[in-house]
Amino acid sequence: MCPLSMAPTGEPMKIVDVRAGCRLRHRLSNLGLLPGTVVEVVQSLGHGPVILAVGDTRLALGRGASHKVLVEPASSVD
Amino acid sequence: MSKSGVLKIALAGNPNCGKSTVFNALTGARQHVGNWPGKTVEKKEGAFRLDGREINVVDLPGTYSLSAYSPEEVIARNFIVDEKPDVVIAVVDAANLERNLYLTMQVLELGVPVAIALNMSDVAEARGIRIDLERLSKLLGGVPVVRTVGVRNQGIQELVQDALAAAQAAAPDFKVNYGPDIENELAKLEQMSGEHPEIATRFKLRWLSIKLMENETDVVAAVAEMPGGSELVSSAQYSIAHLEAIYGDDADIAFADRRYGFISGLTRQVVSRTRPDRLTVSDRIDQVVANRVLGIPVFLLMMYLVFRMVQDVSAPFLDWVDGVIAGPISHWIIALLTAIGAPEWLQSLVVDGIVAGVGGVLVFLPGLMVLYLFLALLEDSGYMARAAFVMDRFMSLLGLHGKSFIPLILGFGCAVPAIYATRTLENERDRILTGLLVPLMSCSARLPVYVVFGLAFFGADAGKLIWAMYALGILVAMLMGVIFSHTIFPRDKDAAFVLELPPYHMPTLRGLLYHMWEHTSGFVKKAGTVILLVSVLLWFLLNLPWGVENQRDSLFGKVSATVAPVLEPLGFGDWETAGSLVSGFIAKEIVVSTMSQIYVDTEQVAEEGVETTLGEDLIEIFSGFGTAASDAGRELLSIIPGVNLTAGEIRMEDTALTAALRTHFTPLAAIALVAFVSLYVPCVATLGAIRHEYGWKWVVFSAGYQLSLAWIVAFSVFQGGKLLGLG
Repeated sequence: MCPLSMAPTGEPMKIVDVRAGCRLRHRLSNLGLLPGTVVEVVQSLGHGPVILAVGDTRLALGRGASHKVLVEPASSVD
Repeated sequence: MSKSGVLKIALAGNPNCGKSTVFNALTGARQHVGNWPGKTVEKKEGAFRLDGREINVVDLPGTYSLSAYSPEEVIARNFIVDEKPDVVIAVVDAANLERNLYLTMQVLELGVPVAIALNMSDVAEARGIRIDLERLSKLLGGVPVVRTVGVRNQGIQELVQDALAAAQAAAPDFKVNYGPDIENELAKLEQMSGEHPEIATRFKLRWLSIKLMENETDVVAAVAEMPGGSELVSSAQYSIAHLEAIYGDDADIAFADRRYGFISGLTRQVVSRTRPDRLTVSDRIDQVVANRVLGIPVFLLMMYLVFRMVQDVSAPFLDWVDGVIAGPISHWIIALLTAIGAPEWLQSLVVDGIVAGVGGVLVFLPGLMVLYLFLALLEDSGYMARAAFVMDRFMSLLGLHGKSFIPLILGFGCAVPAIYATRTLENERDRILTGLLVPLMSCSARLPVYVVFGLAFFGADAGKLIWAMYALGILVAMLMGVIFSHTIFPRDKDAAFVLELPPYHMPTLRGLLYHMWEHTSGFVKKAGTVILLVSVLLWFLLNLPWGVENQRDSLFGKVSATVAPVLEPLGFGDWETAGSLVSGFIAKEIVVSTMSQIYVDTEQVAEEGVETTLGEDLIEIFSGFGTAASDAGRELLSIIPGVNLTAGEIRMEDTALTAALRTHFTPLAAIALVAFVSLYVPCVATLGAIRHEYGWKWVVFSAGYQLSLAWIVAFSVFQGGKLLGLG
């Protein structure tokens, strides 16, 4: 398990937890970033900011947000 | 149905779903853009007629949800709840169905008539995404679903027909099953709230129960004030605690989770793909443009190009507009006023006050149009969102997010559109903080001041002074950003940068021109009136007491002389400089023209000296436009490195002024003055924009802090320089 900011690019990752205040959690959940969602890092600026693929959507997350979303490889569960 | 017989349609949808293209396709030119009452969120309304029926359309702010976490969401939701539109059209990006349906479901949960526009369906089809419309409609409780392509006006007629039919019919019966635990609590709350007639008439009970359990502060507060409300709220709190004990997570997350569960089940049944969609073209572009090494250089290159375009392409047109207003237009008006026998003072008021004032606005138009055109290009193509992403880290040093960079960049052109551009920021804190920093960017109107003083005191080194002033503005803005975000605008830890990146696409010419027109005409209306009023006021100040001969004795001269002593420690305490600075409050470039009027005290060379015929004037206007166009074309080419068609011309105009300046200022005082001009009060038009966007309080604050800032910096330059023996 690691924060999104450190996740490898190009691999499906599953969100395990969002460790943030309720407003940020809510905003992320509105965009579909919920525990259980499978995402993929398409592009990383290093040390934090990432571009994520969530289905057909591309989301940019600043480093603050990407540190707070914990993921694990999607294949390791199920 | 509204009693007036006018039908009300509201458009709801995510950002980037093409909602505004559907809005434009529906209403055509019959639009009105304003603000939602008391908010800095843009409100667009329009109307059209169908079969003799008047239909009003309101474009709700683009949101991902209808909760209460941003002003946009609150506005969109309250409009549907309180204004009760006859039908809501949910605009959905067909290529992004899963995420877009989240909002649609919340609209459906409100229990109002809904029609769904499956927009950008051409893009979805091109990507091999197929959607079963009938099935989608059925799973969403029978709402009509229409395929549309807003930019090409496709499916709009059918959408209107279906929306009107939906408005006549009963609201669709749509319910998400939240699972037994939640449903149990919902049923209890629903039954309880049904016992209070006032609550039961105002709200749809199931929706209310959901909102209470999602603990949405504004709904909770509204209900708590109604009879029986507080009781209801406390039992909702009890339900929340009960649920959180079961799920081990926030209750509102449990709701979001269920909704997405429903949507993902639905999309599995409705969406089929003819080919797997791995790395798209957009992702490939992003690998270069949002690259960790190339991202910032690419961004700086883009900004450099936009800048050069605005400066170079618009400059020839700027001279043309200036020439036409000062020349033919003024001549014609004088001729006309003389013909009808108007007194001389009226002629002066019209020409020196009104025409000069309106001209002051119009002169900016070419630059603004070019600026808006290129910004629309960056925005519509999808690059702007990437720029915000790339700049996010740098901006976070100033307590802002990547998106704030765009208004700040605009500030180098003109602060007025830059202030309006802060609308795109998500929260009020970011909007106002960015708006306070925008006027510190040296706008194009300040450049003439730098150039004149640079040439007068530093000759060939003038460029260094100019760059120093741009750098000063940026450095002070950074410093103020840090200070503000540690004092009056504390950082919001929870307001992280999260932004949807729309796929890149080729903008349409129609769209670009539309955006350019929309913004430019907005500027003329908003800034124009303020500048006009103040120009007329200034004319009176210069001419009162009535018939005053010497400017020193006019009201204006007296005000200037009162201000002057405050500027003494900065190295320029004479009334002339004070007067120039006061007039620069209207528009910064006026500082130079006032100085040349006051300092170069030879009788003003009357511009109307040369008699011209109407024919000559017209020829001048059109040939001038031709020259401007070809100059702009050449400038455009010279942006390409190595191409230089305009031989390096430095405009050495007004040598009389530069000589006069050298006798009035020491070089040190000149630097202090230029630094003062670069930082002092935003011009009237900018303050007008600040008032419009953030209110009077911030006008006072903005003017006050920049004035003090300018004074402190100029004081340090002058006194510090003297201590070092430079004065």
